Amino acid sequence: MATSGNKNMNAKLVLLGDVGAGKSSLVLRFVKGQFIEFQESTIGAAFFSQTVAVNDATVKFEIWDTAGQERYHSLAPMYYRGAAAAIIVYDITNQASFDRAKKWVQELQAQGNPNMVMALAGNKADLIDARKVAAEVIPLGTKLKYSSSNQDMSKIVVQDRKPEAQTYAEENGLFFMETSAKTALNVNDVFSEIAKRLPRLQPAQNPSGMVLMDRPAQTPATASCCS
Amino acid sequence: MDETTSYPPIEPSNFDLIVVGTGLPEAILAAAASAAGKSVLHLDPNPSYGSHYASLPLQEFTSYIESQSSQSSSNLPIPQSDMDSSITRVPLTTRPLYSCVEITSRSSEPLEQSRKFNIDLSGPRVLLCADAMIDLILKSEVNQYMEFKSIDGSFMGDGEGNLENVPDSRSAIFKDRKLSFTEKNQLMRFFKLVQGHLEAAAAADGGESSQSKSISEQDLESPFVEFLSKTGLSPKLKSIVLYAIAMADYDQENGDAYRSVLKTKDGIDRLALYHSSVGRFPNAPGAMIYPIYGQGELPQAFCRRAAVKGCIYVLRMPVNSLLMDKASGSYKGVCLASEQELFSQKLILAPSFVVQSPPPHSSPDARDFGLRNTTEKLARSICISKHSLKLDVANCLAFFPPRSLFPEQVTAIHVLQLSSNVAVCPSGMFLTYLSAICEDDVQGKKLLHAAINVLFHVPVSGSSGNNNSAEDQSETGDAKPALLWSVLYTQELAKFQDVLDNIICTPMPDGSPYYHDLLGATEKIFQELYSGEEFFPKSTSSEEVGAGQELED
Repeated sequence: MATSGNKNMNAKLVLLGDVGAGKSSLVLRFVKGQFIEFQESTIGAAFFSQTVAVNDATVKFEIWDTAGQERYHSLAPMYYRGAAAAIIVYDITNQASFDRAKKWVQELQAQGNPNMVMALAGNKADLIDARKVAAEVIPLGTKLKYSSSNQDMSKIVVQDRKPEAQTYAEENGLFFMETSAKTALNVNDVFSEIAKRLPRLQPAQNPSGMVLMDRPAQTPATASCCS
Repeated sequence: MDETTSYPPIEPSNFDLIVVGTGLPEAILAAAASAAGKSVLHLDPNPSYGSHYASLPLQEFTSYIESQSSQSSSNLPIPQSDMDSSITRVPLTTRPLYSCVEITSRSSEPLEQSRKFNIDLSGPRVLLCADAMIDLILKSEVNQYMEFKSIDGSFMGDGEGNLENVPDSRSAIFKDRKLSFTEKNQLMRFFKLVQGHLEAAAAADGGESSQSKSISEQDLESPFVEFLSKTGLSPKLKSIVLYAIAMADYDQENGDAYRSVLKTKDGIDRLALYHSSVGRFPNAPGAMIYPIYGQGELPQAFCRRAAVKGCIYVLRMPVNSLLMDKASGSYKGVCLASEQELFSQKLILAPSFVVQSPPPHSSPDARDFGLRNTTEKLARSICISKHSLKLDVANCLAFFPPRSLFPEQVTAIHVLQLSSNVAVCPSGMFLTYLSAICEDDVQGKKLLHAAINVLFHVPVSGSSGNNNSAEDQSETGDAKPALLWSVLYTQELAKFQDVLDNIICTPMPDGSPYYHDLLGATEKIFQELYSGEEFFPKSTSSEEVGAGQELED
């Protein structure tokens, strides 16, 4: 949950989305500035933290990755508990992954905190030619640069299909961006935007307790918040 | 959100270990095996984690307990695989672990807020701060997924339902207002005696001699209760030490000779564990803590840990049958409800599963992993009220020693009250767990009803007279909380099946209010499976060192 002390706050952020949508790649790009073309399915790490500065404050994101438990829809309630923000990721070249993203949003709405900041990220935005999910009616934000031929194509797409992602996001209280972990497009922006939108003085939704730490000498246990 | 049918086939189809059931022992084993580099598949037929160690919303809790208390009759003929004639399919069925479920709802309020409850299936249970379970939580790094709250106090109940503070540490003795000066001295002297013995033992281990006097070998082998009498403790203090601190289950004075009598050395070990728990964590002044959102967080945390180490998770996936080698009868793999066949070296089953007609070549030296294989059962109850059992106390443990409620009460009754500050019930409500070891359902119900009747105001059905008692409490301060909703049930304790070749059943949730024995039994299973492998090797880098985490693969 988002907890604030002075101008610094901690916020748990969870990632959701289909296998292969690029959840881990987004985090890896955000946290380490790296991109690996053939990223294996997530094994080995499931917990990252990264601090973002917004205006006069900082937000330390505690980012929970699914650890692969989403593959057979076996995420635990623990995953959603106390999450202040969520990024629902889909692959713009895969219509099914967008349909599944909508299901993840439903699941979040059922499980999560009503004040949760939710971002819808259409990832792999570098793969314009393979696009299957339309972004929006109006030309995309200035940061998305299509070549003229691609722009034409995207117009055709827009006319053919309902402008899906943007409309869906607006109707469901999410904000929407297209991202590319490969080119770093909009990756930092998604996290900054979330940081900006986090309620500053969010009343503690759930009771918080102590976190056990294995440092018997100085701080055997530290209270994790709460203001 | 999805049906089993929509799952893609599980890949790969060969594993080192398949685990069925996501209870705490299974979760720990999955995490331990994954940490040791084994490929693990973890399955559960239920839509949620935790099996018999889960914490569930009220509605789900009642349906789970009812579904697990009736015999599921799946006598469908198992289609034999025609692919491979050397393998035969042996049905895997479940046996009911609960019986005599008795639900009484006196108010619709709890059910209306069903989702705000996280009700433990194996309560009452708390974590002792110096327990091996806490060490494992830290060592395996699942501590980063969980938060805890301190249990505020420990109380001893009497036949009237009065709850008196348990003076469990020197400072608690000092502050106690109910003990006489003589009793305070007696208890203080006793704690010092034990402390001295432990120091002497520690010094002897280190090859040194110590000023401290150790307790004689003869005393250590004698019953703890005799030793306590010898040191001159009053009957009340003996009760406190035996049942509230050393957690003896059976009457230590009038019990049958064959019942488990606590030896002095074991009593002292338990006392030492308790004392080193007090103040281990600065934010937990007492000896015990409880996980926020309920005990069910523990299996979830270990499963997440396992997943991080590569374990594959599939909920809502029943196993219909086991694949056995026709010639040797040895275990080969499982056949899922989806008809997919998966293979593994070894199999771990939650204790509710029964392998029908075990193969003829089952291991002759079948071992029992630490749990007493007796006819004992465990009576459990959960009560919901709007007021605390003790004014100004949110979360507490309490005990009714043997014979405190009625003369034939042979076992101690454990009680744990939890409040909304550990996120297990709606704010303004309290959850109270009770348990007692018993011989049968009738005795179990009698034990728990006796405790419930002195702790709560139990409205007699049909009488409309005293409906305001709950509200009265705030005025008089000593009225008992009215019971809004309750469940009583009996849980099996005995293992049904022992070890077959490469198939191991995990232990049942035991009657202890701690995790100590359960973890011991679980670690033994790991050593049986993978002798020579370390149980959770200390990892070199913590996951949470801030930015700059490595994704390994």
